[in-house]
Amino acid sequence: MSGLVGQGVARVDGRAKVTGAARYAADQEVPGALHGFLVMSTIARGEVVEIDTRAALAHPGVVAVYTHADMPRLRVPDFPYNRPYIPMQDARVHHNGQPVAYVVAQTLEQAQEAANLVKVRYRAQAPVARMADVLDQAFLPDRFRGRANEDGRGDAAAALAQAEVRVEATYSSPMQHHNPIEPHTTTAVWAGDGTLTLYESTQGVAFTRNMVTQAFADDPPKDVRVISPYLGGGFGAKGPTYPHTLLTAAVARLAGRPVKLVLSRAQMFTSNGHRAEYRHHLRLGATREGRLTAIADTSTAQVTRLDGRIYNSSDSTLQLYACPNVHVRQLGVRLDLPTSSYMRSPETTAHFGLETAMDELSHELGIDPVELRIRNHTDVVQQTWAGGEPERPYGGKHLLECYRAAAEEFGWARRNPRPGTTRDGDEYVGWGMATETHTYGHIDSEVRLTIGPDGRATVRTASQEIGTGTYTVLSQVAADELGMPLGHVTTLLGDTTYPAASISAGSSTMPSVVGPVSEAAKSARAAVIALAVADPRSPLHGVPAAEVVAEDGRLLASGDRGDTYRDVMARHGQEVTVTGRKPNTRGHSFGAVFVEVRIQPRLGRLRVTRVVTAHDLGRVLNRRTARGQVIGGVTWGIGFALMEHTMVDPVTARVVNPNLSTYLVPVCADTPSVTALFVDEPDPDSQALGARGFGETPGTGVPAAIGNAIHHAIGRRLRDVPFTQDKLL
Amino acid sequence: MRTFGYTVARSPAEAVRIAASTSAPAYVAGGTDLLNLMRDGAQAHDHLVDVNHLGLDEVAFDSRRLRVGAGARMRQVAEHPRVRREFPMLSEALLASASPQVRNMASIGGNLLQRTRCGYFRDAAAPCNKRTPGSGCPAIAGHNRGHAILGGGDHCIATHPSDLAVALSALDATVHLLGPGGERAVPIAGFYLLPGATPDKETVLRPGELITRVDVPRTALAGRSRYLKLRDRATFEFAVVSVAAALRTSGRVVRDVRLAFGGVGTRPWRDLRVEDALRGRPLTVQAIAEAGRLLVRDAEPREGNTFKVELVQRALTSILSELGGLR
Repeated sequence: MSGLVGQGVARVDGRAKVTGAARYAADQEVPGALHGFLVMSTIARGEVVEIDTRAALAHPGVVAVYTHADMPRLRVPDFPYNRPYIPMQDARVHHNGQPVAYVVAQTLEQAQEAANLVKVRYRAQAPVARMADVLDQAFLPDRFRGRANEDGRGDAAAALAQAEVRVEATYSSPMQHHNPIEPHTTTAVWAGDGTLTLYESTQGVAFTRNMVTQAFADDPPKDVRVISPYLGGGFGAKGPTYPHTLLTAAVARLAGRPVKLVLSRAQMFTSNGHRAEYRHHLRLGATREGRLTAIADTSTAQVTRLDGRIYNSSDSTLQLYACPNVHVRQLGVRLDLPTSSYMRSPETTAHFGLETAMDELSHELGIDPVELRIRNHTDVVQQTWAGGEPERPYGGKHLLECYRAAAEEFGWARRNPRPGTTRDGDEYVGWGMATETHTYGHIDSEVRLTIGPDGRATVRTASQEIGTGTYTVLSQVAADELGMPLGHVTTLLGDTTYPAASISAGSSTMPSVVGPVSEAAKSARAAVIALAVADPRSPLHGVPAAEVVAEDGRLLASGDRGDTYRDVMARHGQEVTVTGRKPNTRGHSFGAVFVEVRIQPRLGRLRVTRVVTAHDLGRVLNRRTARGQVIGGVTWGIGFALMEHTMVDPVTARVVNPNLSTYLVPVCADTPSVTALFVDEPDPDSQALGARGFGETPGTGVPAAIGNAIHHAIGRRLRDVPFTQDKLL
Repeated sequence: MRTFGYTVARSPAEAVRIAASTSAPAYVAGGTDLLNLMRDGAQAHDHLVDVNHLGLDEVAFDSRRLRVGAGARMRQVAEHPRVRREFPMLSEALLASASPQVRNMASIGGNLLQRTRCGYFRDAAAPCNKRTPGSGCPAIAGHNRGHAILGGGDHCIATHPSDLAVALSALDATVHLLGPGGERAVPIAGFYLLPGATPDKETVLRPGELITRVDVPRTALAGRSRYLKLRDRATFEFAVVSVAAALRTSGRVVRDVRLAFGGVGTRPWRDLRVEDALRGRPLTVQAIAEAGRLLVRDAEPREGNTFKVELVQRALTSILSELGGLR
């Protein structure tokens, strides 16, 4: 191996992205494509009585206006389609901002204005818009994706009753939206033979293909191809499949022309999921020495009138700390709002409560927050009622090293533990920390690797580049295993004509795809070496294959005998194609985050001035892209802690701030530079060259770390994000 | 948005003429707010008159005043060395507004006429008395964290969003207008209207009138001024509370003071009683606190913005303490 894996190799697609050469989904120029625009409901609950499309149809350039009356009947696909219904199949309205008509016109502007001209009359019922109004109606929803919403081990109630020390509090987080910079877009093209091609902004081309195929099962396309070579951010918003994709495919078929749809920013606040509003009621029991004896976490999340899917699981509550008695209950309350979904590290909501409660416990006990976590560290995967499997040790878990490294870099030892004692000028300085952890997934994936007659390699797999560096890392892995320069490897992603591969969600891309790429590259190298040693024209002819090594594009044996990929393949005159697979397992990544805040007490002005992280993600495949994940995670964590908040009108259940002017996300000035450390030890349990899934881990601890730092600065415990200025006065 | 006509005017008079001869016209300079309003359906116009080429972009000083052309860009004014020196609060208010990209585009005239950021106003599907008179105000019982505690009523509690207008109010600026009826000058104190029962009417501008210039008197007081802006993120965000303050003391006694407030009023908020309460008195925390209480005496806070009552008083204390050298 040439040692490319692990290096901070610059993005192989960086130039294409910054020069605009990279074609994102909406950049695809499809000849003859019409432009679609959705008409959204302005009531949250009820039904459409009448839709007057005359003015819209009379508008210049308008080709058609479709309603539930003429939309073909589609089947509701399974997970990960995100709704229990497809809109425009009947007159019912389930939330404000639901599609009720679909305008198709020659230009986008014509479609938009015609959409304004569609007059919809409704029979409306009063919606339930606020969780606070219906908390007494919380219920335990059915299993979701096979997981029960009640889990635990031991007897938390009894252990709490006997605990020497208890902490009890409620932690809340509001509805939040992903807000990737690229809006959702679909361009649907039906070919004469009945094949449907979708240029789609999706984190999973294979899943989207499956969902669309299911939806059209009554009148199936000959085939469905989904293409998504680049994504302008997803954060979970483009993981599941959403109604607009199905509706666009249906409308393009009706119109007999390709149709391109780009959601407006406002429409993205009701069309593609959000992080549900949460309340976590937590009770911790511990010994005076700080050993956890009980954790009970009853959470309440918004669900809808029609379904009870809980997307933000309480994994860290169940697994992060050694505790014999745990009880997790995930309740829901029904609101007339869109279905929520996975968003940027879904486990953060529960983790924010847990890590704040741990800080409260440390304060209660007078034990340093890092020391408290060390005392409750575990190196085993703990059994739960639902898990069923016996306890087993993690293959590699270096969380203790993360605490040590980040604390040292931060200077934690100098911290005066008493809140409100550290000042600098007119500001209070607070230091807080939290553990970081998130589950990562795995989905069986396949990779096809071709070595051409020019001796260069092409990797194809229907995984995705969602901004995290997939093209770069897979090229590194392939080049390393092949023994080729990085520039001789091309990786192609985001097309269902390539072998099926993992969705890029749930931190599962690397765990799923790196192993198969590595296996394919091994096979390809062996195949080319076999060609060389069997070829009388090769200097390697007759050398035992096992004695040939590949390096920098050359194939070398002892005694100065050598050949090159280029020469072997040129003589061979045709491609060598192999496939690679390598099943992996899901798991967890870990880390620690230390934060400094400065608060001007008179005005309640808060700045995050320093962030140090250390993470254990198994083997680091690319230090630069891994650091990029940390910076992104910390930035979103700051958004979660300090500003992000979707506001819904209590009367109309309509989003009040559906734009980036009033839905605040952090700007550069809110975000200090981040010192990101990595333990970088391969995980023996991982089949991805020892790497784990990582994308969602950084940031999980940031909201709690900021809240803990605020407590340290001014002695005030905040439990409800966002921590806005008014809460700091 | 609906189709609209577009004409580039070559002189102020021509701009006014074109506007007078078209239906539902609007003047457009940088377009950083107007185009969003049109896209969102919060405003509709049949014709836009481009006022970027009227020769109104000068920033000039004469013996008595600073003269800022309505077509000058925010950045041009904010970074002007003499503006920074003689009118610190003006430069600071502009630099605390928007983003560098927006400040490069947005004009001074357009800044003064930008519309409120109230989410109900900007959602064409929501009721809003300002956008659709008589339709109601959902903000009063809905989300109103960003809304006004002063100058509101049963019809509208939307805040005026301009930081520049707050600074100009404190500086006693004059707005110069050109309309079909000729030129006139309006002191900024009389330029913005309280919403009353007609929140759709925000200024005294008559149909077809164009802002041509803003004059700011040069005073020694203006040179001792600051702009303090508090908001929910570090940059590129409107004020939760802001204060423009100019202060002149001799010894500890306040000789003169000018104060205007943003984020709290339905228009840029100036209350002369607050200044009177400080003038001629020693500048103490006590005196500032009394002035602050006077400011919020008639405040009508709502569920989401009650904190502004306290925050604006603290902001006042903070900025005057700094200007007056109080610790």
